[in-house]
Amino acid sequence: MGGTCAPIRVDHCVVRAYGPPIAMEPGRTSPWGWNVTKKAAVGDKIQLALLVKFLKQKGRSDIKIDDIIGLAETMAKTLDESVLTFGAELHQEFSAIASEISSLRRDIYELRPDQIRFARIPEAGRELDAVVESTEEATHIIMSAAESIMAAEIGDAETFKAMVDDKMITIFEACAFQDLTGQRVRKVVKTLSWIEERIARLAEKLASVSDIGVVPVEPETEDERRMRELLLHGPQMKGQGVSQTAVDSLMAKSDQDDIDRLFD
Amino acid sequence: MALDLNMPILVVDDYKTMIRIIRNLLKQLGFDDVDEASDGTEALGKMKERKYGLVISDWNMEPMTGYELLKHVRADGALGRTPFIMVTAESKTENVIAAKKAGVNNYIVKPFNAQTLKGKIESVFAD
Repeated sequence: MGGTCAPIRVDHCVVRAYGPPIAMEPGRTSPWGWNVTKKAAVGDKIQLALLVKFLKQKGRSDIKIDDIIGLAETMAKTLDESVLTFGAELHQEFSAIASEISSLRRDIYELRPDQIRFARIPEAGRELDAVVESTEEATHIIMSAAESIMAAEIGDAETFKAMVDDKMITIFEACAFQDLTGQRVRKVVKTLSWIEERIARLAEKLASVSDIGVVPVEPETEDERRMRELLLHGPQMKGQGVSQTAVDSLMAKSDQDDIDRLFD
Repeated sequence: MALDLNMPILVVDDYKTMIRIIRNLLKQLGFDDVDEASDGTEALGKMKERKYGLVISDWNMEPMTGYELLKHVRADGALGRTPFIMVTAESKTENVIAAKKAGVNNYIVKPFNAQTLKGKIESVFAD
């Protein structure tokens, strides 16, 4: 458990507070607005409402999963008998929440976010950079060889053939890049599958414990807007997109009506 | 329009390798006067300085795409009639139609070969 533990007696029950101890000193207001005074009652509906409201706030950067677990566990463990008498159900709810959060924390741990961020993704990026570099280098070698052949004078046939043979060997050697880039790309694909598998597993578990409902649509980024407006789809996969023959057919349509008819 | 092997051609692509490929293919076809630009903005600047007989442009470039370049060229009184061939990996039907609507003279899908390039250039100047 990550937070600082500060046992504080509030009225007749002991609350183990997580987070900076100062937040729970009597007379101080906790991050969720819980005014800890000797008169505060743990079961007070208003205080609980404040806590719930705090936990429901979106976009707060100061809420850590350990804080939530700590709070849930604290609430569950420290509710005394008087509260349990009229709040057994509440106690059960908090216990269930604590258990779910602990489970969620284990799932997040299994996702290995640090490994994704600091190892897998940067490594995949380096592999792709290497692919770009080696294909560029190979292309340069092949094109230089081809340009030399194109520019050569066919004076002496034997000399010309020797030169062409030499350049051909250079081209064959340069083509070895395909093997290396293939291996690098396969490593990247494996990394993506590794990440996808873990995220899918986590998403599945999250869906089973909570009713997320309709996920709000994220606003379009500037880059997405540009791609949409300027029709920047990039290369299509084999079998998708239109062939040169289909393009020629579209270009041959004499007027807009002909093109419009394609969409009827 | 007659096909003039001495006409200056502007090749616009953000990949030096592709410019080199097109330049070599054009050389094989007999065109020696080839300039290059790495995006639409640079191409537009060059087109205002020199009259080109043909523009061969990629679509996906930054900051100005080939599609935007095409629309700028067609909207410009002085440059509006310059023959324009799009050579691109953008192979969705909507791209071809958008380019045609914007006034492209021909459209080549990457990867392409010398024969296709030759055929499209001839077709543009045969119209």
